[in-house]
Amino acid sequence: MLWLAFKTLFHEKGRLIITLIGITISTVLALIEVAIYLGMMGNATAVIRHTDADIWIGSKNIQSFDFALPFPEHRINQVRAFSDVQWADKIILTFAFVKLADGRREQVQVIAYNPDTGVGAPWAMLEGRAEDVKGGHYMILDKTSEQRLGRLELGSQWELTFVKEHSFKLVGLSQGIKSFTTIPVMFMSYNQFQPLLADMALANHTAYIVAKLKDPAQAQAVAQALRVALRDNDVFTRDEFVYQTVMYWTVQTGMGMAFFLTAILAVLIGGAIVGQAIFAFTMEHLREYGTLKALGARNSDLYLVIFSQTVISAVIGYALGVAIIFLVRDGIEQAGVDLYVSPILLVVLFFTLLLVCLAAAYVSVRKVRMLDPVTVFKA
Amino acid sequence: MTAVLEVKEVSKVYGAGAGKVVAVDAVTLGLSKGEVLLIMGPSGSGKTTLLSIMGCILRPTSGEVRVAGKMVTTLGEEELPDIRKNHIGFVFQAFNLFPSLTAAENVELVLRLKGYDRKKIKAQALELLDKVGLVKRAGLYPADLSGGEKQRTSFARALAGDPPIILADEPTANLDSRTGREVLTLLRTLAEAAGKAIAIVSHDPKAEELAHRVVFLEDGRLKT
Repeated sequence: MLWLAFKTLFHEKGRLIITLIGITISTVLALIEVAIYLGMMGNATAVIRHTDADIWIGSKNIQSFDFALPFPEHRINQVRAFSDVQWADKIILTFAFVKLADGRREQVQVIAYNPDTGVGAPWAMLEGRAEDVKGGHYMILDKTSEQRLGRLELGSQWELTFVKEHSFKLVGLSQGIKSFTTIPVMFMSYNQFQPLLADMALANHTAYIVAKLKDPAQAQAVAQALRVALRDNDVFTRDEFVYQTVMYWTVQTGMGMAFFLTAILAVLIGGAIVGQAIFAFTMEHLREYGTLKALGARNSDLYLVIFSQTVISAVIGYALGVAIIFLVRDGIEQAGVDLYVSPILLVVLFFTLLLVCLAAAYVSVRKVRMLDPVTVFKA
Repeated sequence: MTAVLEVKEVSKVYGAGAGKVVAVDAVTLGLSKGEVLLIMGPSGSGKTTLLSIMGCILRPTSGEVRVAGKMVTTLGEEELPDIRKNHIGFVFQAFNLFPSLTAAENVELVLRLKGYDRKKIKAQALELLDKVGLVKRAGLYPADLSGGEKQRTSFARALAGDPPIILADEPTANLDSRTGREVLTLLRTLAEAAGKAIAIVSHDPKAEELAHRVVFLEDGRLKT
């Protein structure tokens, strides 16, 4: 019956093309929505995921990675006092402004890290090395920031405004490191940035203390013990902090719902298009289905024809949609939008779309099941 | 001769009470191997209903239907498709060919349905089309065939899988006089040469000349 499904489906090319266009558009929409969302979540949690720490300690009631408040850095000693802790380090996260060539100012996200240990350092370098920020007013910017900051040339001086103006020299370019908010990320030395905090009366403050455990399997237990010891801070395992950040952007801001609603609508529209097309096809070919029944086909044979046509349409439409995504992906990313298209996403979205299409085709199956083969004798 | 298809005291009643319609009323007849039986009657006399019952497509309200000696009126819905598939070939007034399939593929369809060896299906379909004189048109779609060619294709399809019984509903209704005669002659030849039991429902007076036996139906009853 698969043979018949193929023959009849491909015989009516006009209808097939319209169906495929519908599924393809649905796939592109749904995939782009989910891929953008995942790309944004990837950026929002990138520093947490790429820092080799099992524990993250931030200010009290912190909601996401980007909204850290400063707290006294000496608390690192309490962390280091734990016998389970292999090492602990500090990371500053704050926002500042850089002066562009034309005099305008652009906001940047500053991540200040210890260049000796590399904890919190950029993990993908295009030019220069992460430790090059050591010993002076040096900084690393991401190559993707060129869109916002203009041409990034190693050795160029940049005016950074953080209460007062300070000059920093560009010594390295990272690759593909973006903040959730798309604000350019600027990496510099923790020790070099500390004096700037003093301008805000926040000397010897940090945004995060991160710790590596001797046994990462003990992360939950150590985090719990640290919560007791550091009552003015929030303590997370790495996974908890990733989850907290993702949940903040997804649920609390409502952004995730907006993305998923659009994606779900796209999938439903795709299913409706397939369902409508298959139903119209079934209605137009009702006599043929009746003939098949009269010739001895069982209902299950007819279901196979309808479901096969649905699956064939869904597979081709989905494949075209995915192909389009991969064709335009570079262009979209060059425009500053990250798309995270993983094999798991492709598989999950395919089966979701397929399920919706099959559910929509069920209306046709019901119609055929009720069809009386006696109709074949009507001229 | 032994009947390969028998209907005994078969009735079909639609509705109830004042709106009750008796489409077929206590009809008994048999169809034997090598025989062409013509069922005639005015419109609304119950001919097509009777043919549907004989073809195991429609269940009678009462009476018995036997196909190859097997009582089919007591069979479940899931068993009837197999009876139709293995014992009966159908020829329809409107041909009922699949427009997306070529003439050969329309015949192949039944062979596939019957589970024939896929490697041999193509050759068998062409052989059947050859029997009805249409092998040269095998690759054409129904839209490109004349009325007579379409009906010949539907004969080839009815013969696919070698069913012992062929039921034809007004096979000449959509054909011109000359083609209609050719088609009826072909049916007679099939009955005699291939030993098929053929029942035809028709208004066509030409059919009377070619049938071995003619029965008349009026108001659902056989006229003697």
